[in-house]
Amino acid sequence: MLLRLKSLTRSVRIALARLVRRAAPGAASGDDASAVRPLRAMPSVSLRPILLTLGVTAAALGAGYVIVKHPPVQQLAPGHLALRTNQLTGDTTVWRSGPVWALPGLYQVTRYPLQDQTWHAASMASADGPSPAQSVEGLSIGLDLSVRYAIDPARLTAAKAASLPERLVTQIVEPAVQATVYKIIARHTVREIFSSQRAQIEQEIEGQIRTKLAADGLLLRSIHIGKIDLPEDYRRGMEVLLTEGLSAEKMRYTLELREKQVKESELTASAEKARREIAAEAAGREQVIAAKAQEEAMKHVLPFKQRQIEQRKLEAEANRVSRVQQAEGEAQARRIEAAGEAEARQKLADAEAYRLTRVGKANAEQMAAEGALITKHPLLIQKTMADRLSDKVQVIIASPSQGGFIGNNLLGSVARAQTASTEVDTDNTEQ
Amino acid sequence: MKQLGNVLLAAAVVAVLAAVFSVSARAAEPVAAVALVTRDAVTLRAAPRDSAAAQTVLWRGEVVEIRAERGDFVQVWDHQRERGGYVKRSQLLGVGSGEQAAPELLALLGFVSEQPGSETLGLALAAAAIQALPGAALQGPDGARVLDAIGRQAERLAERASQGAQRSQDRAMLTAHLDVARRHGVTFQSIEDGERVRLCYEGDAHRRLLAMPAASAEQQARAALALTRSDCQNPQARPGEREAADQARAALLDRVPTTTLAAHWRARLATRQASVWSGLAFARAQRGDATAARSAAERALQAIARVDRAELADDDLTRHTEAALRANAVRWAAGSGVAPAAALSITTRKLDDGQTCASLIDPRQKAAQPLAERCSWGVVWAASASVNREGNAAALAVQPIDGWRELWVFRKTAQGWTVQVLPPAALNPGLGYAELAGWVPGGRQMLVAREAMAEGRTVRRFEVVELNTLTPQRTAFEPDALGPFARWPDAAWKRDSLALR
Repeated sequence: MLLRLKSLTRSVRIALARLVRRAAPGAASGDDASAVRPLRAMPSVSLRPILLTLGVTAAALGAGYVIVKHPPVQQLAPGHLALRTNQLTGDTTVWRSGPVWALPGLYQVTRYPLQDQTWHAASMASADGPSPAQSVEGLSIGLDLSVRYAIDPARLTAAKAASLPERLVTQIVEPAVQATVYKIIARHTVREIFSSQRAQIEQEIEGQIRTKLAADGLLLRSIHIGKIDLPEDYRRGMEVLLTEGLSAEKMRYTLELREKQVKESELTASAEKARREIAAEAAGREQVIAAKAQEEAMKHVLPFKQRQIEQRKLEAEANRVSRVQQAEGEAQARRIEAAGEAEARQKLADAEAYRLTRVGKANAEQMAAEGALITKHPLLIQKTMADRLSDKVQVIIASPSQGGFIGNNLLGSVARAQTASTEVDTDNTEQ
Repeated sequence: MKQLGNVLLAAAVVAVLAAVFSVSARAAEPVAAVALVTRDAVTLRAAPRDSAAAQTVLWRGEVVEIRAERGDFVQVWDHQRERGGYVKRSQLLGVGSGEQAAPELLALLGFVSEQPGSETLGLALAAAAIQALPGAALQGPDGARVLDAIGRQAERLAERASQGAQRSQDRAMLTAHLDVARRHGVTFQSIEDGERVRLCYEGDAHRRLLAMPAASAEQQARAALALTRSDCQNPQARPGEREAADQARAALLDRVPTTTLAAHWRARLATRQASVWSGLAFARAQRGDATAARSAAERALQAIARVDRAELADDDLTRHTEAALRANAVRWAAGSGVAPAAALSITTRKLDDGQTCASLIDPRQKAAQPLAERCSWGVVWAASASVNREGNAAALAVQPIDGWRELWVFRKTAQGWTVQVLPPAALNPGLGYAELAGWVPGGRQMLVAREAMAEGRTVRRFEVVELNTLTPQRTAFEPDALGPFARWPDAAWKRDSLALR
């Protein structure tokens, strides 16, 4: 405020001095004019209107120029913030939108964008750059660091806005980043920065920068640390080390993977075992049920088979009894038949004996009669033979021999019978 | 000098050409002449004489390599026995090699494959034909003919071996034939069926034939029927394995195109399908999958309905009867599953141990105890429940095993309700059913149809059964012979049952 008052006093003093100086040349220049005037007699033409016109015109042009160059109303583009400062009183007003009245000379308007801004720390990007960071070992490290920030409109009060510098990057962001990054990096080793604690370091840097920027009314959106530039020799050794570490890590992860695979196999095998056991149990159960059903069907059949067997037994018994009775009847019938047969045969034998006796007697009587007849008529024999042979023999040529009859040989038996009968007759006669 | 040079040059050219011809002629010669033994018990002799000592005995269909000829004898080498000797020329059939020999071999195969007893010779000819046919022809109709011939002959040989031989020399010949067939790549499986062992062809040729697009419909049908024979399934298989096998059999039968198939082959195919789908229906029902069982039973009934009995050959009648018995046994699986409303109702419930209990309930008595209850390890066809008009008897179909359906009769007595079981026949369970054909008014008799194939016997009877003792009072082989069957048959039974087929 004091500074402004001083500058105001100074400007008033300067203006008064100019007025005094403008009044003084009248006397001074009067001497000069009197010295020059006699040399040239000029026609008396009044220049006053012309000068007045030119002056008015110049003043109008100047006013127009001033208005064009320094318009009293300024339009505020969307996404921007305007800070109007009264040059006389030092009052500060924050404008967020709309036209801003800013009389030239009275007000000073400063605009700030509310959009996100990005700043890239180019000076610390390379280990060989102008301002690299230093690790705890004293090695230079380049960080490819980008900061994304914005003015926090919620925390930007009029007082705070008045203290905002025009160049936020160089006056707020860069100092805050450098003050944070150098300090944090200096506490860590290259290895930690490069690989093992990179995320933590990034997080720590972000936290601290966020706090610092927030104090100045800025909002840190994000910090991104890209490539970390190491000294060439160190990089080579570090890469080898990291490769070995990675190999070890890889081996560790491989082993873990194998362990997990083994566990997975175990679980799969266990599940398969359980599934098979369940399936086997179900199959066994089905088998048992089928076997029991088979047994049940057999059980249901058995009574009928038993009944069938009993029925067959009864039928067989009935058949046996029937056949026995039939056999007994047949035997009895046969006995009766046999008795009858025997009796019949006895009767037949008796009849036969009687018949033979009778036939014998008849034969004897007939033979006796024939014998008597032949004895009485011997030629009867020849006649009988001739009768018997008459239809068999047509011509018989034979010489009569011993008695002259051809059938003597044939009739020998007859002759012998005749002789016998004769003898019988003789015997009978003798008896 | 110039002429001499020309002559020498010409001589050299001639010599080179002669050498080339001799080499090419040697290359064109067959590597080895092969002959097939055409008769059984051919003696391999040590010398080209009939009186020479016998080395071994060769059987029909064996392959020998011809080494030389001596008069009527041919000197051969038996690679199987690693023995050489002499065989009469008339007992051998020389087999050509190369594509030009294929038509002759195919003609011989076509003739020999129809001769019973010559299966091994036919298999040897088929092997020779496969070797002679070019690759493209093997994928065509010729290849299909050869595979079909192999399958048919292998089936016939297995059938011969299963039937056995009466005379000792025939038994030796049968064993030798099986050995020769195995040497030609035909393998057999031994299926234990009760007390006897059945030999079945493993079916490799049939499977290859079914995979060939060039195979005719009849050839495919024959192969599919051979691969799905019921008597060649493993009887020791568990229910799950049997169901999976039946599923595969059904899929195999479905693959055969029937549009161009002759009527009798269609009938055979439908008969087999009915049999297979019946088994599947029972297995699914026993597993508790009623929906799948219904679709399978419907497939079985549709298949058996497609069979035209007039088209069936005499040999197929027994198989058709078997299929009809199986399909009729599971016909209730295709029913609605809800018994018609009656004075009494039968409900079923599953126990934890796998049994199914059928309970007779009087709906008029609220929360009452079942009038009678009996449990079974088999499948209870609840849709078959039927109650007589008098309300003193009820009948229920229960199927304990595949293809064997019993009739459970609930009977009201003075002491209460009793449950009696009427099996299809008084035989060891095989195939069969006993089903209610109707109720005789009066509540003392029922009509029962029973049919069974078991213990080598076939029983088909229609009976008027007395309810008290379940003994048949009148029996006939045909329902028309019994008056009650004309007067009081159940309409649903007349409509749905295959007993009246």
